[in-house]
Amino acid sequence: MSGDTQPALELRGIVKRFGSLVAVDGVDLTLTKGEIHALCGENGAGKSTLANIAAGVLAPTEGTVVADGAVGLVHQHFELVDRLRVWENVVLGREPRRGLRLDANAARERVRALATTYALDVDPDAIVETLPVGVAQRVEILRELAREPAAILLDEPTAVLAPKEIDALFATLRTLAARGTAVMVITHKLQEVISHTDRVTVMRAGKVVMRAATRDTSIDAIARAMVGGELPALAARAEVALRPSFAARGLHAGQGAHALRDASFEVAHGEIVGIAGVEGNGQSALTDAIAGVLAYSGELTLEGAPLRGNPAARIAAGVRVIPQDRQREALVLPWSIAENVALGDQSRPPLRRGLTIDRGARDALATSIVERFDVRASSIRVSAGSLSGGNQQKVVVGRALAHLPNLLIAYQPTRGIDVGAATLVQSQLIEARNAGAAVLLISFELDEVLALADRVLVIYRGAIAGEFSRAGFDRARIGALMAGAA
Amino acid sequence: MGDIAGFLQLTLVKAAPLIFAALAGVVCERAGILNIALEGGLTAGAFSAVAVSYATGSPIAGLVAGILAGALLCGLLGVAATRFNVDQIVAGTGLNLLAAGGTAFGIDVVFGAPGASPEVHALGTQGEGVLIAAALALALALQFGLERTPWGLRLRACGENPRAVLSAGLDPRRIRVYATLLGGALAGLGGVFLSLGELDLYSDGMTAGRGFIALAAVIFGRWTPLGATAAAIGFGALSALQFVLQRAGVPSELMQALPYLAALAALTGIVGRARAPKADGVPFDP
Amino acid sequence: MSGRSGAIFAAILLAIAAGAMAIAGANPIAGFGALLHGALGGERQLSETLVQTTALLFPSLAVAFAFRAGLFNIGAEGQLIVGGLFAGLVGASFVAPGIVAIPVILIAGAVGGGLWGAVAGALRARFGGSEVIATLMLNIIAALVANYLVVGPLHAAGVAGPETSALPVSSWLPALLPGTRLTIALLLGLALAAGLSFVFARTVFGYELRAAGDAPAAAERAGIDLRRTALVAMTLSGAIAGLGGATLVAGVLHRFNVALSPGYGFIAIAVALVGGLDPLRIVLAAFAFGILQSGSLSMQALAHVPKDVVAFVEGLAIVGLSARRFAGARGSGH
Repeated sequence: MSGDTQPALELRGIVKRFGSLVAVDGVDLTLTKGEIHALCGENGAGKSTLANIAAGVLAPTEGTVVADGAVGLVHQHFELVDRLRVWENVVLGREPRRGLRLDANAARERVRALATTYALDVDPDAIVETLPVGVAQRVEILRELAREPAAILLDEPTAVLAPKEIDALFATLRTLAARGTAVMVITHKLQEVISHTDRVTVMRAGKVVMRAATRDTSIDAIARAMVGGELPALAARAEVALRPSFAARGLHAGQGAHALRDASFEVAHGEIVGIAGVEGNGQSALTDAIAGVLAYSGELTLEGAPLRGNPAARIAAGVRVIPQDRQREALVLPWSIAENVALGDQSRPPLRRGLTIDRGARDALATSIVERFDVRASSIRVSAGSLSGGNQQKVVVGRALAHLPNLLIAYQPTRGIDVGAATLVQSQLIEARNAGAAVLLISFELDEVLALADRVLVIYRGAIAGEFSRAGFDRARIGALMAGAA
Repeated sequence: MGDIAGFLQLTLVKAAPLIFAALAGVVCERAGILNIALEGGLTAGAFSAVAVSYATGSPIAGLVAGILAGALLCGLLGVAATRFNVDQIVAGTGLNLLAAGGTAFGIDVVFGAPGASPEVHALGTQGEGVLIAAALALALALQFGLERTPWGLRLRACGENPRAVLSAGLDPRRIRVYATLLGGALAGLGGVFLSLGELDLYSDGMTAGRGFIALAAVIFGRWTPLGATAAAIGFGALSALQFVLQRAGVPSELMQALPYLAALAALTGIVGRARAPKADGVPFDP
Repeated sequence: MSGRSGAIFAAILLAIAAGAMAIAGANPIAGFGALLHGALGGERQLSETLVQTTALLFPSLAVAFAFRAGLFNIGAEGQLIVGGLFAGLVGASFVAPGIVAIPVILIAGAVGGGLWGAVAGALRARFGGSEVIATLMLNIIAALVANYLVVGPLHAAGVAGPETSALPVSSWLPALLPGTRLTIALLLGLALAAGLSFVFARTVFGYELRAAGDAPAAAERAGIDLRRTALVAMTLSGAIAGLGGATLVAGVLHRFNVALSPGYGFIAIAVALVGGLDPLRIVLAAFAFGILQSGSLSMQALAHVPKDVVAFVEGLAIVGLSARRFAGARGSGH
């Protein structure tokens, strides 16, 4: 608001070190009331660390934080207590009391009042874990707003929202800004930055490399500042003759809000089928069912034969999965790269020789993966945990593609890794498709799906809601289906 | 009729230390600390109570000492878990061994002869009754406290998602340490009941695995104070049953095994799959 | 923990032990001296130390084996007792040349311990029940069952104490050092340690076991059956502990009685941790703890320090070592 020049939040000379790692390297940042400010940067640029320092969750190694009031932080992965109710989460730490007891009614009132003021509709008595992701986010926002903050920071808030919900969120943020709160959004979704924000700051490797008013810049300029140069190019798609490979019929898996209901689709050799959808609409159940770690009903066929059995049998049949959470589901972090490479193939030749693991074959495989996939590691003996996220993912992808699979499921394959590694991984998926693999890509980033897929299937509430081929990608329609339009 | 009253009374006497220990388990686990050192807490409490009563002649002083000893032992677990992010089961096992060795050592040093203490001034039948009433009252108080007070809300949040507690501007580590202190005090009180309530001496190994039965009672009781208390009373009834069945000629060892067998049965989840607090036993490393 | 913090920690433990000795009214120097002399002061003392080392080695390998698979086997004591019971019963029931009888007796011990471990393993595999609670309960049940059997139905006729009949001399484990209690059980234990080391490092089975322990979600997706692994690991772990009980029966006591183990199964947890869950380092750790075990008796007799101070310090050692994070399947333990 004009005339009110006091900044809501000022970060001066912030440095943050974790041991020898410098996460934030001398950052100044000012948030003004009434503005929506975007903070952009690659994974590992230091944005989340800076946000945590601004909110007072982390202490800076050097520098000062000056805030004109409380600073709220809405996290990318919500920090709510799932098994408690909405009102319990919102008032935690600031509970209204009546004598010794919690005043539950006053708490509910507080929630309703906040919800009305900021047009964030939510039922105070609902248990958080039953809420859809978009609604759960509102709970976290309400919790921060209950502190009447001078500034509110949101870390990747639109990652889990459908396009329509994204618009609603930014409308809420505009309301907040208009009421005098400073708003900062950490995001890598540059289209949203251009459409909805007033100022942009770009970080790279812990430093600020660009500051601009949004209207004075462009997606290209921001992207180049984030990466520090030109973006690497994606591999070219080849003309491939399709052959049938995988089919799912009437697949039901999982329970509750994130279950898979009656999914039927095919993936052919030589194509990438992209599943577009907001997180929490059955993608995990789909992946886990095909991988064999989740019970399901329905039929799966691979290469004309039924696909059945435990995960080992499916791997032997040529199904490979790049899981969503590489650190928990794909790698054994304390083990070396070499030992990790054997995971999944350890019980069959050539890696198995009699009762033992053939270390020569294993090491040769590890070395070839490290070379082919440009894994930055000093040797195959270093632990997987010592690698960066991008290099860890390259190991996982390399292992899955070591022998051309019949069906490759890539679930969020570029989550949390830098642009260079992400482009390499995406190129590898295209090259696998070119070589004849059947690739099922599941991603919450619509842009990624549209860039890589030959066909797109929209998933909503566990069912396939629409199918689009590359020639006819209709972004608006796809977005609408992702949000549940008929 | 008298027999039934006698059986009920024996049940409560046998159940009381289990109730205290089970309540301790509930408080700790709801806060996110998997406390398998309840046995050590009982041991420390039972021994300290007798040692101090021996030294001072006052069973009340013994009572206080027992409570403090239990709190100290389990508090160590709390500090180790929050400050050093230890593996809580391993640390708990160590504390149990430490308590067993330490009290055996203590018997020799304090009383001059290994194995058992001499008889000391105890709480008597009246004191025993007061403690039993206290156990039941504490069960109700903790149930109310956990569900209806801000303290309870914060503690429960710590056991589910300590990050959320940190985000709310609170210190989950401090809450967890306080929970283990409270839990330890309860376990110590259970030990006091064993040595100064039911009896008037301490003997090596008198806790006999009650701390572990209490863990089973926590699961049976679905991590609620009232549920765990009910389960503890059930185990107490099994113990009391021993005496009845022994007269019928059933071998005593097999009878003594009943509570432990019941605890094994609890693990099959025949009581239904209730869920442990999400962050139970998981080190919190912000 | 690193070498340096390990040394500091050991120093703290020594200081606490010295303090405890002082509280007991003994001279710490005399106490430590009596302990070391009692453990290493001569051929007889050293042989006794090695007997204790052997007794600890089996349950420690058992605990470590389960740990590597992501399971807490706190029940080595019970498995050891049941193994010893089986060995004692089988051993006393027939006479045959040692070359036949001894393997049969040892296998009986392994079977007994294996069954006891399998109960906990099955509860975990089938119902997801905590093996921590299961093994703790089974320890106590094992002691009660053993007590009942040796006082009652299986009591050796004509003997005063609670024990089973003695094994025929031909079934006794041959002595390694004549005139001492040290038998070939030590060699068996060393061979077992070497074998387990190979299994972990080189075999597919060991690889899958370690994966289940270090990264269960990744292991499952790699085709490893976590439930089956839990059952197999607990059974084998119990069998190893049971084998240890059999060596105590066939080598040291030559019968089964309730005084078979002064808590070897619990001290084994400390030994396994000090040995970093590595079979070869556990051999060294077992020797160190063997010194403590055999020396503590001298310490008590000569310097009048109650031997329980050793248990106290061992407990403290476990607490200190719990700071090492053991990856994987822990979590809630429920």
